[in-house]
Amino acid sequence: MRHYELVYIINPNLEAELLKEVVDKFSDIVSKSKGTVVEVNEWGKRKLAYEVKKFDKGYYVLLDFCGHPTVVKELERNLKLDDRVLKYLNIKLDDDSDPEELISKIQEKNAGKEVEETEDSTKDEDIFSEDNRDSEEE
Amino acid sequence: MAFNDSYDKRVFVKHKVCRFCADPNLKIDYKEPKTLGAFITERGKIVPRRISGNCAKHQRILGLAIKRARNIALLPYTTAKVNTREYREY
Repeated sequence: MRHYELVYIINPNLEAELLKEVVDKFSDIVSKSKGTVVEVNEWGKRKLAYEVKKFDKGYYVLLDFCGHPTVVKELERNLKLDDRVLKYLNIKLDDDSDPEELISKIQEKNAGKEVEETEDSTKDEDIFSEDNRDSEEE
Repeated sequence: MAFNDSYDKRVFVKHKVCRFCADPNLKIDYKEPKTLGAFITERGKIVPRRISGNCAKHQRILGLAIKRARNIALLPYTTAKVNTREYREY
């Protein structure tokens, strides 16, 4: 399965419930089209570097998932249709990866953070290096 | 003496080291606009290698990361924001 990373921006003026609904909607689409959600990370409201659809703020959500290219097709179709999504960026991180391995890695990382909260020496926050297009460490 | 002048200047040029090679803990990630921000100009342009001192490999990765960050509105394409707002009022 391929490993993808999707960042999308939701209309920040929505109420908390509606925001949650949107986030759940896209996670559902992934699981319905036989993909696996690895991680959903809500960054929250952020200022945009430039105006998008006349908004200068946006609610950022990161969706990390594994699946076949059909998942991406379906996801992007829905992202385009949904008015509440201002913008999205989908990136392929790896051609062949095991979702369960990734999930356990993230859990380990989170557990490690709680233990070593006093010494924040861990810089391994980003296990996904930028040059993943040509390097395959997994 | 033109030759001597240029020679003298060359002596004082500091050798720059790629920051990402020097510190392997530094990661280039489009999701972290703060680290990328050091490599763009006030106008939002990507700083060339001859100025930042990055190595070719990291400059390539960095350029891609900046472009991705621009796409998702974490970094600006340009800073002509003031003008567009003024125009809209009329």
